[in-house]
Amino acid sequence: MNNETEPAAEPAPRAVGAQVATPYRLVSEEGLAPRAPTGGGAAARRVLPAFRAAYGFTSQYFPAILLVAIALTILGVYHSGGLTLMGQQVRNALVLGAIYALIAIGYTMVYGIIELINFAHGDVFALSGFYAIVIAEALGLDKLATSGLGGLLVALIVLFTLSMIAAGLTGMLIERVAYRRLRDAPRVAPLITAIGVSFLIEGFLLVFFGPDNVATNKANWITGNAFSAGGVAVGFKDIFVVGIALVLMFALGAFVRGTKLGKAMRSTAQDRAAALLCGININRTIALTFFIGSALAAAGAIVYSINYGDVQWNLGFRLGIIAFTAAVLGGIGNIVGAGIGGFLIGIIYVFGGSLAGGEWAESLIFAVLVLILTFRPVGLFGIDVGTRA
Amino acid sequence: MQKRTVGLLSVSGAILVAAVSACGTSSSSSPSASSGGGGLASCKGTISVATDLPLTGGDATDGPFPQRGAQLAVEQANSNHTLGGCTLNYTSKDDSSVAQNGHDPAQGAQNMTALAQDPSVVGVVGPFNSSVALTEIPVASQNHLAMISPANTNPCLTVALAVCSDPTVNIPTNSLYKGPHTYFRVIATDNDQSQILAYIATKVVNATKAYVIDDQQAYGHGLAVLFAKYYQADGGTVVGNASLPSNTKTFATQMSDAQSKGAQLIFFGGTSGDGCGLVRRDMGAAGLNLPILGGDGCQDEKFITDANSGSKTTQAEGSQATSAPDVTKLSSSTAFYAAYAQRFASDPKPYNDAKNEPYSPYGYDAMNILIQAIKTALTSNGGQPPSDSTKFRDAVVSALRNTAWDGALGHTTFDSNGDTTNTGFTLYKVASGAWTGVNTYAVDTSGKVSVKS
Amino acid sequence: MALLEMASVTKQFGGLTAVSNVSFSVGEREIVSMIGPNGAGKTTAFNCITGLYPVTSGRVLFDGTRVDGQPPHRILRFGIARTFQNIRLFSYMTATDNVMVGAHWWMKERVWDGAFKTPRGRREERDIEQMALELLDALGLGDRAGSYARELPYGLQRRLEIARALATRPRLLLLDEPAAGLNPQEKNELMALIARMRDEGLTIFLIEHDMSVVMGISDRIIVLDHGEKIAEGPPAEVRENKRVIEAYLGSGASQEARTA
Repeated sequence: MNNETEPAAEPAPRAVGAQVATPYRLVSEEGLAPRAPTGGGAAARRVLPAFRAAYGFTSQYFPAILLVAIALTILGVYHSGGLTLMGQQVRNALVLGAIYALIAIGYTMVYGIIELINFAHGDVFALSGFYAIVIAEALGLDKLATSGLGGLLVALIVLFTLSMIAAGLTGMLIERVAYRRLRDAPRVAPLITAIGVSFLIEGFLLVFFGPDNVATNKANWITGNAFSAGGVAVGFKDIFVVGIALVLMFALGAFVRGTKLGKAMRSTAQDRAAALLCGININRTIALTFFIGSALAAAGAIVYSINYGDVQWNLGFRLGIIAFTAAVLGGIGNIVGAGIGGFLIGIIYVFGGSLAGGEWAESLIFAVLVLILTFRPVGLFGIDVGTRA
Repeated sequence: MQKRTVGLLSVSGAILVAAVSACGTSSSSSPSASSGGGGLASCKGTISVATDLPLTGGDATDGPFPQRGAQLAVEQANSNHTLGGCTLNYTSKDDSSVAQNGHDPAQGAQNMTALAQDPSVVGVVGPFNSSVALTEIPVASQNHLAMISPANTNPCLTVALAVCSDPTVNIPTNSLYKGPHTYFRVIATDNDQSQILAYIATKVVNATKAYVIDDQQAYGHGLAVLFAKYYQADGGTVVGNASLPSNTKTFATQMSDAQSKGAQLIFFGGTSGDGCGLVRRDMGAAGLNLPILGGDGCQDEKFITDANSGSKTTQAEGSQATSAPDVTKLSSSTAFYAAYAQRFASDPKPYNDAKNEPYSPYGYDAMNILIQAIKTALTSNGGQPPSDSTKFRDAVVSALRNTAWDGALGHTTFDSNGDTTNTGFTLYKVASGAWTGVNTYAVDTSGKVSVKS
Repeated sequence: MALLEMASVTKQFGGLTAVSNVSFSVGEREIVSMIGPNGAGKTTAFNCITGLYPVTSGRVLFDGTRVDGQPPHRILRFGIARTFQNIRLFSYMTATDNVMVGAHWWMKERVWDGAFKTPRGRREERDIEQMALELLDALGLGDRAGSYARELPYGLQRRLEIARALATRPRLLLLDEPAAGLNPQEKNELMALIARMRDEGLTIFLIEHDMSVVMGISDRIIVLDHGEKIAEGPPAEVRENKRVIEAYLGSGASQEARTA
């Protein structure tokens, strides 16, 4: 009771500060008074919860919303150009998506295991395209491939094997030289190193192969239409591109899921020290991850060379960034997610571009990237699929 | 190094001319000056001309050619005593900067200001890039200094076309210099080219529905926008368009789109480096059997290589593109190429041969036209340089307006905007794996296109 | 002969000495506990044994072979397995897969076996999976074999960690606070499990705070304080040791320790 009257008498001496009659109060009596909630007017109090609810809703149902948006885009294309256009664009989207998927997997594997966004990965892709050119030239594969079906198969097997090994070794070399020593450094250090490696590879390609498109001489390896349905001509090439991507993705999935090395990769990704104390050679496992990721990029580069007929020194930059978006969309670190993300990005690129105009295609992809990072940073599938490696 | 020497030269030139003009005023009543109306033989002193071109960095393969062409014109004029007793002093400025690794509008404006401050300079050949012209035109115009560009093709520099206010076109109308300008050019504009292209699309190819693609670059996008405008004016319909990044590698999506929209022609605004040939290749992949039409950016070897890099190795056949007439094939240019090869024989490759790059005859003609105008100005002043540098410059500009010059490029005159009337463009077609000229078209100031002989 | 021998091991982090000139040994088929207050250097000692930390000076001998300075994955292959104070399972892998990772080093499968699914590789994968399921069964995790590690209750996660360690075929098992967070019944089960493993031939070396567990199962107890060994001996001896009671248990806690 007394306490209530005392503070009322106090403010005067405190404000003047001259007399020190009463001892200094540690606890501000203003602070003790009950108070109404502060901050924001009535409008803000009404709007903010609604905003939060909208955010929560969007972030919870992000995959569904994205899929609905994609479905609407596809319907929009159907509406504007009919079934034929839609069918053709589906074909175009799958072909593009297959290539993005093959690159995205490399990003996601490396991120999964050492939490590094390997910006050099796109350039390893471009480099592999040039490896394929050099290998095919040295072994006369271009001539062999066009000599008949048997020749084509032999040429493909030889080219895929050698290029994937060459690219895989390059990936291991990059890891050994540029990233291994920085594994426990602050994360920005290997990130900047990755950008440096990226420039290094681009510079190398520019000096050795020149600034222009370089013809791969592989565009005529696979020709002809497989079938035609309702005005949509599907070439053997299209089937080849998508088929190779799917086969490699499923093979990788089985490898990571069902083999001892796959388990080693997954365990290293999830807890490096624990994996070490389960007897896993971490350095070798990480090197293997780089090998596989780079080899898949090489497969993507060969598929690209056959489909588009030329490669350029700076090809890896743009494709790399788009594939990175695909990896983020699927949930970075998630291999299955990266594969699906690649195809989704292909669909967004082609259908969005078809509807909004080609100049918007890339903007749309990066808009999607911003939306994912805002509403669902873990990606569509998060890391909860059990294939993280 | 080169820049520093040039700077010293121009300073000494300025001192020399200042001395000469001082002498001129003091001895205005001397017999040599008053005798003979326009007697150039009596002309005394040094008159400065300059070039402003990008010479280093990424533009080192472009600017040095017209620079040498212009230099050759000055040296020939001096050895032939074209200006009688007066000699020409030549200064070369580089509008490249390290920061831009090539042409830099800010560097251009700085160069032009330095030249304008120098009273001995009466005319400049340059610049190479339209973006540099944009900053230089106001400086030159306010200082009465004539400039003749050998290479600016952006029409919006001189004419406020409706299309220039499209914000995506490189140089919008509102940055056009409003006062009377002193700018001329000896090269036809993209506006001329696109009128001719629209004429070819509607009257020669007979396509009423076009699908327009460009490479998002200043040249390519501008050409595509202009083409679409004139094509529609000529009765055509643009059924679809796509503006894609310059490093786009696949156009399959656009080909499907064009097919579904019933396009009868694919137009590409841009260069082969930015996908012109790849569009042609992807037309083959999509089974789109249509003509393709492009501007001068498409008419090169790379187009054919790219177009044939798909499954069908004869995909380039029948592709059409317009390009400025091949100057190397003109009879009027023979003497120029021979003189260039002789004068710069000891220069490193590729600068030792003007045929390695298209713009050297443009630099040569621009400088010759400037020298001719100086000669006219001197003659009309009794064979002597006017004592007042501004008056001299004005006399040169007005002489330029009445230019009629037969040079390496053929017959050049300027219209009221300062643009050349020598607007011929040749339509080329790929036949048996090589570009072959079909017809040359010209457009007059009213926009009427006709076949040139 | 001692299975594990620490000879004058010192571990410094910059200026801080976490383990100071510690020597002790663990004999074959022994159950030895290491106790000491928080920050006494117990886990550091474990990390020195398993190779996670290189020792600053001194030697670690396993079955007479010097193992300090070797990488952890190689030390494990000598037969030293461990669990962690804060459980470190592979959360996004199933219980079976977690155990199978433990078998990684002794599996014969090569890269090509995995890549091309050779019959040999497939057979081995099947055998190892069978082994893992049996091990889980024996530890009472049989019905949770397909669950992700992170979905298991805490007590089962502790046991899964032991299963994974057992799959590495150890001779010595290091347990870092195995009883932490367990209820009394689970503690009893744990003690039974430790006794059973010892009976089957395994040597157990554990860090533990829970005195009922420590006193109940240990053959010998090692006491660390501020990185130094202050006592060593059978439980009855250590619990009476004055230095231990003062330095570690404190005067008040000594009562508690005695009654436990």
